[in-house]
Amino acid sequence: MLLEGCVLTQAKLQRKINHIMSVKIFSSTDFPAYLPKLNSLYDDLFSGGKGFRSKLVQMVSEPIGISKDLQNLLCQTIEFIHNASLLHDDLIDRSVLRRGKPAAWNKYNPEYAVLAGDYLLARVMVNLSAHGNIKLVQYTSQMISDLLEGEWLQDSVVGDFFVTPAQLDRIHNLKTASLFKWCLRAPFIAQNNFDQDLHLCLEEMGTILGQLFQRSDDLLDYDIRNNEGKAILGDLKSGYLNSFGSFVSQNMNRGQVDQMIKSKTLVEFQNCFSDVDGLKIFEQKVLEFDQINSKLIDLYQHHLSVLMSLLKEKITSKDLFNSLQPLTEILYWRRKPAGH
Amino acid sequence: MNFKTLQKSDADFKKYLMGTFSNTDVAIPVKTLNVGTVNETVTFEIVKMIEIQRPKYFVFLAHLIKLRTYLLIMVPLFYVAFKNYLDDRFFDPISFLCASVAILFLYAGLNLRSDLNDHISGFDRVIEPTSPKPLLKGWITGSEVSFMSLVFIAISAVLAVPVFILQKEEIRVVAVVVILFIVGQFFKKNSYKNQRLGEIILFLLIGPGLCSGLQVALGSGIDTEILFFGSLWGIAVLFLVHLNNFSHLLSSSQAGIHNTMNKMGFDASKKFLVFWLVLLNVFWILFHHFYAGTFWMWFVGLVFIFWSIPTAIEFSNISSPVGSDLLSAKKTGYKNFLLMIVLLFIEQIWYLGNKINWTL
Repeated sequence: MLLEGCVLTQAKLQRKINHIMSVKIFSSTDFPAYLPKLNSLYDDLFSGGKGFRSKLVQMVSEPIGISKDLQNLLCQTIEFIHNASLLHDDLIDRSVLRRGKPAAWNKYNPEYAVLAGDYLLARVMVNLSAHGNIKLVQYTSQMISDLLEGEWLQDSVVGDFFVTPAQLDRIHNLKTASLFKWCLRAPFIAQNNFDQDLHLCLEEMGTILGQLFQRSDDLLDYDIRNNEGKAILGDLKSGYLNSFGSFVSQNMNRGQVDQMIKSKTLVEFQNCFSDVDGLKIFEQKVLEFDQINSKLIDLYQHHLSVLMSLLKEKITSKDLFNSLQPLTEILYWRRKPAGH
Repeated sequence: MNFKTLQKSDADFKKYLMGTFSNTDVAIPVKTLNVGTVNETVTFEIVKMIEIQRPKYFVFLAHLIKLRTYLLIMVPLFYVAFKNYLDDRFFDPISFLCASVAILFLYAGLNLRSDLNDHISGFDRVIEPTSPKPLLKGWITGSEVSFMSLVFIAISAVLAVPVFILQKEEIRVVAVVVILFIVGQFFKKNSYKNQRLGEIILFLLIGPGLCSGLQVALGSGIDTEILFFGSLWGIAVLFLVHLNNFSHLLSSSQAGIHNTMNKMGFDASKKFLVFWLVLLNVFWILFHHFYAGTFWMWFVGLVFIFWSIPTAIEFSNISSPVGSDLLSAKKTGYKNFLLMIVLLFIEQIWYLGNKINWTL
């Protein structure tokens, strides 16, 4: 079978990472220096972050032979959009910190934060339209509007502690998954490959990756696989019940939900289930949540095999498979894939 | 885990949806893209038939024929029977019995058919179900549902024959109902509940159509009271339909389904629901004003109004098209509907008690 033996060698992987790291997303010369504080605001914004979305763009672009310039454009596009959403998000959520530093609205002022976000989105349209691929411009605009719809809907459920996992999935599909879908599809669109089956498959894979990323991120809030040291119960304390919170509270009674809302520590949260077996029940819930997501990972692998069958060139599909296959390990389980 | 992704244009697409692709496996749809379009793509999880865990038979059947929605036809049945007994117009009990049983089978058959249509159109995969769907759970295949539906409708047709013989006027009522049904079938895209013309047809069928049909089967013809009651009942049923459509406003809008709620959007829909509740109250009071005693008009009228006020406030306060407010409002609205039925039942029991001087 085509997919068998598709394991990257260490050297190949290192070369790939080196290339990925070499992409420059932001340069102060890209923006007018006469605008007060704009460049220092962007310096703060772009200096942190893992740039995962742009790496994902490259993971797809590289194997299918997209030129370096076009790769840069795509990477810049996704990072600009993502960071614009962070600028606006922090203001909406009144989050005072972003990547360990004061959030833009807090350090400068809310007006600058809004305008800096808008400016990034405008630059995206300027850069993409200059490239001239109207389908890419159209798809990117659609993605931005999905992202905004997701933001809007998410804001409408803040303070709602009875929201269901399925309802949150709808929001995350718009807010988070739309960007992942773009990362997978945009390189093909940029290459003028509009094969319908291919894009349907990539759309599905992007949706799953977005959901897995969001759910894994939500688990960090409950100190599960929290290697980054993210603040515990941050979402809950700011009145937002995330996907894991919604999952565990499905069968809680009103009293338990009230207790959950008031939780200040993880132990207090676990005690919502039971004063005696709280930890045990909590761990069981994590296990059940992981099982649901394992099924989603299986579904992703299925779509990946469909994708491989759709790609005509064997070399391309091998490299692409090697890039995309370990993503669920990285995104959901937050560990290095076996063999890498 | 074994998955299979198929497009609408694939030759096997319908076989997987209907469950006829294998004698040992079941295909459960887990993901659908571009529903209702030629590009519709469904990913099925292929599960061994013996691995499917079905609930106990009664629970399975209850979900299959949507037993909990039987109130929608049982209440008109009950009302027509009581009304005519109280008025000494219960002329043809045999015909009425046949018509009642026929209606029960027809309703089961149409529910099954509706589920199958939703399954094939993909509607059941984009709208979050509030109760387990046997087809989506793999408890039954599409072809089995289709067969059962035909059997139920055939039984209903056989039972209708004596009604037509005993009460010839029933043929005219059924003819009108069949025309409405055909018009609905001609125009409908997803279901009667999810298309604006369909909503009107549903109102006519389950309201004045059903009530007058039952009364004609009983041999007492059509009168203004039964038409008024039918209209009241149609408005009450549509209240539930609008409420249900509102509760999945976002998902159905994204899927491109056209109904009153989607057309209006979130903010206007909330106002429309309040308006519809007011309309229900007005019809409820007018019905009692014309056809009930003064005491009952005031009693059930005031109880219903006072119960409806918090419901209307709850509708107005819904803040999100995806939050838990929606489910809560749906439950509150349903309780309002149930209250109406309880009040109607108590009222009829009171009339019956008076008629027989509270002696059995």
